[in-house]
Amino acid sequence: MTAIILDGIVLGLQFGLLAAGLTLVYGLGGVLNLAFGEMAVITAMVVLFAMEAGVPAAPAVGLGLVAGGLLGLVFDLTILRPVYRRKHEARVLLSLLLTLGVAFMVEGLLNWRYPLKALSLQIGGGAIEILGVPMRRGSLLASAITLVALGGLFLFFRSTALGRAIRSVIEDEEGAQLVGIDPHLMLRLILILSGVLAALVAVTRSMVTPVNVKAGFGITVFALIVTVVGGLGTVSGAFLAGVILGVVSSIAASYIGTFLSLVILLMAAALTILIRPSGLLGVRE
Amino acid sequence: MLEVSRIYAGYQGNDVVHDVSFHVEEGEAVMIIGSNGAGKTTLFRTMCGLLAASSGKVRFRGEEIAGLPAQHIVRRGIGFVPAERHLFPRMTVQENLSLGAYPKRPDPETMSVVIDLFPRLAERRRQRAGTMSGGEQQMLAVGRALMSRPRLLVLDEPTTGLAPKLAHEAYEALQVLRRQGLTLLVAEQQVPLAMAFCDRGYVLENGFVRLEGSSQQLAADPRVRTAYLGVT
Repeated sequence: MTAIILDGIVLGLQFGLLAAGLTLVYGLGGVLNLAFGEMAVITAMVVLFAMEAGVPAAPAVGLGLVAGGLLGLVFDLTILRPVYRRKHEARVLLSLLLTLGVAFMVEGLLNWRYPLKALSLQIGGGAIEILGVPMRRGSLLASAITLVALGGLFLFFRSTALGRAIRSVIEDEEGAQLVGIDPHLMLRLILILSGVLAALVAVTRSMVTPVNVKAGFGITVFALIVTVVGGLGTVSGAFLAGVILGVVSSIAASYIGTFLSLVILLMAAALTILIRPSGLLGVRE
Repeated sequence: MLEVSRIYAGYQGNDVVHDVSFHVEEGEAVMIIGSNGAGKTTLFRTMCGLLAASSGKVRFRGEEIAGLPAQHIVRRGIGFVPAERHLFPRMTVQENLSLGAYPKRPDPETMSVVIDLFPRLAERRRQRAGTMSGGEQQMLAVGRALMSRPRLLVLDEPTTGLAPKLAHEAYEALQVLRRQGLTLLVAEQQVPLAMAFCDRGYVLENGFVRLEGSSQQLAADPRVRTAYLGVT
């Protein structure tokens, strides 16, 4: 049982990280980025190709993170331009359609050109025992990186002037403008951050399981589920919901079966919408 | 200081404000009075960059500011306190005030001016803005606007939803700010309060300026007396 829960926490931290990348963009700008998973896959391919070209793992990962940030910026400057001109539901809908289109195109292209490529970062060394359960070093390193990243995000939003400025746009966009904050600039920064998070998702995930060119869709779906449960625009909500759903999913997978664990996750999301439409830590409107 | 000329503005092509011109000089307190739906809020939102004008000019300290986004107008020295306040409800009083100074660090001197004006805000420093009473939220909205050290403070219906006693207190606070040299522009439905406070005013009806003059002139006008002062 301890092993199942520990596995669940490893999975849950990853869930938290994916959701953070999606929920901030949605909470801040009302933009639903369904190409989030593809962003992660593209950065995984950047890391893979860099390593195949002889770049050592650490700088290759660095390149992947930079590529993620650039991808976010490119999104902001290109396909999201028409999205920003719409408001409210129209904005959500258009962003959903456009990014879904991009996701299909990217997935199609990668599948056609590189059907067999997969990034898998091997972390050497034997298992480490935690609470009597042997854990793979890859899983532990991935979880540690994720924890540091989520903690860093939390501190950034809590205690820096820029973090507060970004939060203010999530709270009240017009109020933010009235204190001199440019909401579009904040949204651009968040998209860059979201791209970096997508890259971090790809990198940490590849320490646990190979990230192939078809992984994008699954990443987006999990990010969506966790976002719905955690609430929009909150890093701590994403973290909490991620860990809870990770443990639920791990328990369901080992007692009921892997196929049904996805159904159970979707049910958890549906139940959250019924009981608490704003999510665990979301804003009540 | 502020010169608004021939502004037309509204929503989705339907102008609510027609051909409105007015001016505010340094050190003055000026009111725009009118009933609900007269166009006061639309006029202010346009002036402060939250809404695009259909046509017209807004000059502030010699520079054209019409068409600039709100965040640029704030940085040029116009503080705007909207009727709905637009605070950051899940942030503390302290955080709301600090953000008022964005992008600079909050200036301790300005902070102490705000705290002297509204000691209540110091007591509630760690409380979330959304959990405070209407009167306290109004204080915070004014305090937040002051943190940017504006030259002109624009208030849209500062007494909305406040009990009469609190409404009086709100104007007493504005009086203090005036004595410190701040220029003020107020839109108000509670005309007697505004009239006792402001030097001059404009009467807005159905989006047109119907009358203008000093507070004494307006108070003596029979139309103003029947429509806004309840004198028959």
